[in-house]
Amino acid sequence: MDYTQITDRQHEEMLSTIGIEHVDRLFDIIPETIRCEGELDLSPPLSELELQRSLTEMASHNIGAHNMACFMGCGAYDHFYPVLIDQLISRGEFLTSYTPYQAEASQGTLQAFFEFQTQISRLAGLDIANSSLYDGATAVAEAAILAVNTTRRHTILVASTIHPEYLAVLGTCVSDLHVQLKVLDAVDGKVLPETVRQNMCSDVAAVIVQSPNIWGQIEDWGGCFEVAHEDPKTLAIAVFNPIASGLLKTPGECGADLAAGEGQPLGNALNLGGPYLGLLAAKEKFARKMPGRLVGMTTDKDARRVFCLTLQTREQHIRGAKATSNVCTNQGLMALRATMFMTTVGRDGLAEMAKQSWHKAHYLAEQITSLDGWSLAFGGEFFNEFTLECPIDVTELVNAGKERGVLVGVAANGRRMQNLSTGNELIIAVTEKRTRHEMDALVALFKEMSK
Amino acid sequence: MVPEHRTSKHPSRGENPVEPLIFEKHVRGMCGVDFPPLDVPETETPEKLLGSGVDLPCIGQHDVMAHYTHLSDRNFSVDGNFYPLGSCTMKHNPRINEWAAALPGFACLHPLQDDDCIQGALRLLYETRTMLEEISGLHEVSLQPAAGAHGEFTALKVIRAYFADHGQSQRTVVLSPDTAHGTNPASCTMCGASVRQVRTVDGHTDLDHLQEVIAEVGPENIAAFMITYPSTAGLFDPRIKEMAQIVHGAGAKVYLDGANMNALLGRVKPADFGADAMHFNTHKTFSTPHGGGGPGSGPIAVTEELAPYLPVPQIMMADDGSFYLDRDREKSIGKVRSFIGQFGVLVRCWTYISACGAEGLRHVAETAVLNANYLAARLKDTYDMPYFAPEKGAYCAHEFVSVPQKLLDKGVTLVDIAKRMIDYGVHPPTMHWPVHNCLMVEPTETESKQALDTFVDVMLQIAEEIDNDIESVKNAPLVSDIARVDEVGAARKPILTWND
Repeated sequence: MDYTQITDRQHEEMLSTIGIEHVDRLFDIIPETIRCEGELDLSPPLSELELQRSLTEMASHNIGAHNMACFMGCGAYDHFYPVLIDQLISRGEFLTSYTPYQAEASQGTLQAFFEFQTQISRLAGLDIANSSLYDGATAVAEAAILAVNTTRRHTILVASTIHPEYLAVLGTCVSDLHVQLKVLDAVDGKVLPETVRQNMCSDVAAVIVQSPNIWGQIEDWGGCFEVAHEDPKTLAIAVFNPIASGLLKTPGECGADLAAGEGQPLGNALNLGGPYLGLLAAKEKFARKMPGRLVGMTTDKDARRVFCLTLQTREQHIRGAKATSNVCTNQGLMALRATMFMTTVGRDGLAEMAKQSWHKAHYLAEQITSLDGWSLAFGGEFFNEFTLECPIDVTELVNAGKERGVLVGVAANGRRMQNLSTGNELIIAVTEKRTRHEMDALVALFKEMSK
Repeated sequence: MVPEHRTSKHPSRGENPVEPLIFEKHVRGMCGVDFPPLDVPETETPEKLLGSGVDLPCIGQHDVMAHYTHLSDRNFSVDGNFYPLGSCTMKHNPRINEWAAALPGFACLHPLQDDDCIQGALRLLYETRTMLEEISGLHEVSLQPAAGAHGEFTALKVIRAYFADHGQSQRTVVLSPDTAHGTNPASCTMCGASVRQVRTVDGHTDLDHLQEVIAEVGPENIAAFMITYPSTAGLFDPRIKEMAQIVHGAGAKVYLDGANMNALLGRVKPADFGADAMHFNTHKTFSTPHGGGGPGSGPIAVTEELAPYLPVPQIMMADDGSFYLDRDREKSIGKVRSFIGQFGVLVRCWTYISACGAEGLRHVAETAVLNANYLAARLKDTYDMPYFAPEKGAYCAHEFVSVPQKLLDKGVTLVDIAKRMIDYGVHPPTMHWPVHNCLMVEPTETESKQALDTFVDVMLQIAEEIDNDIESVKNAPLVSDIARVDEVGAARKPILTWND
């Protein structure tokens, strides 16, 4: 079905209103040589029943967090979210609207985005936030570009412990902008403030540090950002996990000027990596430099409190080549899910998820490292994710897990992780969703394989 | 027939009270969900790491439902309203698409799982890739880009990488018609390219000016010409092929902004008029929902010579019929976003294309163009249309531009007309773009004739009101939930977050 609704008779009536006899007349202006001769070579159309069948079939060929205990993280987390989100998000008034350019017809979306911006700014401990970017990686790249444009400097110091995909995307995004990326080496899985100092020079636009970082290690944001700020022009960019803010210090509390991150853990499914949402929060003074959509509070003619898109002169549809970014589409529906999630769990629910993730991750780490030959790869503090130095080939571990219904974690070596490591580390994430039973089974598997 | 003013459940303004912010509904200690008790021993968190707590408002579950239900009641949508937003292709969003994307076997996949765990998902992606290759006529598609603008950026990177690899890295100028989508020049900037505008005349690119600009800039310095076809004015440019030949003559590439693919499906393959690279907007052409601003998805298609530079990973089929992600492409521009793209959106895209089939897609384009021409034909006497003149054989494609000068001369502004449409339950069309003082109307193929006729009636009624009751137009909206919004004030002193 192609979802059109014009009958043959109506078709004829419409042609006669237009004053033509055949619909092809409307296409006559297309040069003959470029018109399709035959039909497209596609499979025959499927009815809805057939679609249901073949989609169910294709989905059944996948294993994932729905039928496995998922200990995989590295930028995508299997967190709990309440069913009401799926129900509310499917309301057509949200689902089938578009960018709220017409404020009088879009107050629902606008108010929800304003609430989202406020919630995200609080999780980041900063003044403002935009209404979402594509994903965590592009949010980091946009933050870096904002820093370059604001400071008119062209060196970015970035921690080697940032998610390797974020580093890769950042590299692609700045490669034609005369920006030099300097990657900061780590010691024991973390970047030392001293290393930041050694790399500072008069051209540093920003220092980017992710915490918890790719290894799960909690970085010394405070220390690194203090060094960055010894140069008053340099911006401190924190890459953060919004769930961690339920327990740990926020980027703002550690001195960040900007915070970028992946918003997927807030009420969004794993979705094989997308659609997700990029978070970007900032100090107020960067409002006019922010990329993407911003919703502001204002009044209507009768002095009612209302909302509208604002500071649009930053954006591509007004400013063209001089816009702060080319971004147009945001991740509206994902942002809406995130705000519904944050509203439902509230302060206490977020804290509970963060705490349970902390306790469970530490329990599991303790259990595994009590096995002979198993140890943590790094000595620092971690939140919900930690890295193991494994006595057994990680590929074997991952494969054994598949047989037992466990996604045991992410192997740090190989192209998939941008060759993060040539060693034999396994990165394990534990959310509030994992049960003691699942964790004990994982430990038992590792123990069995160690024999 | 003109519909009653949109009153929804609320007979007049003021009876749909402003919904309080969630921050104003906060009740300390409330939580909308509960959690199982912790089933492992606690491990102390060092004091120095602890934050002071994040001030998220706390609300009970029923009030959460009420809040978002009330907010949803304050939105126009494709489901509830005629929504002829030009260039955005606000077509029906089939719910089978949503069902498909939510299947646990798709929604619960971790992006770093091994290929052998996700064969079904990879098959779907591979099939989507090949479908889009067929529709574009181009050699290879990358599903990576997250949205149309992101697709532009990615493809421009690919083109620049191609030239760099061929010893022509001096090609840093991108040409663009003066009526281009704002994303086009903005994407150029993000790629470190500079933009030169080419004049349009009567909605078509001025080929003489194109040649002048090429001569002026120097053909050897031009990377690409970014065009939209049908043009942003909603017209099939009859000289599209010559345009492409001129660009190719300069050694540059033709980039097609695929925003208007709805008019081409099954009728024209962009490769056939000389497009070297293009993006699709799945949320426009392939019915994935717009979601209040996103998510979109912007797959790009390129010629064989550009293909080696596409981003990684690429979805491939092995000789044994299994599917895998290829991360080893020597000449690739690298990664443009995390993981493997907007998978959930692409599930919807696959579902839509599979529902339509070849015949359906061609019928989509035909009906989209028919609907637009029908509306234009019925409205042209009242709403001036600079490019639409059926008596001279000048039709529109899937959308049309009106500069309603006769009405504006009577003392109303374009905004007045647009806001009055809201009173009749119609979402205003795109405004002031691609030319000043215009309405850009795109009805899409999924509207019924009755809906189109109702829209015409509304537009004629507003024209009549301008003659007889101009104040109701100038003060519109009158019966929507809120009155006209002070956008200037919002920008002067931006309030972007709530302070308790």
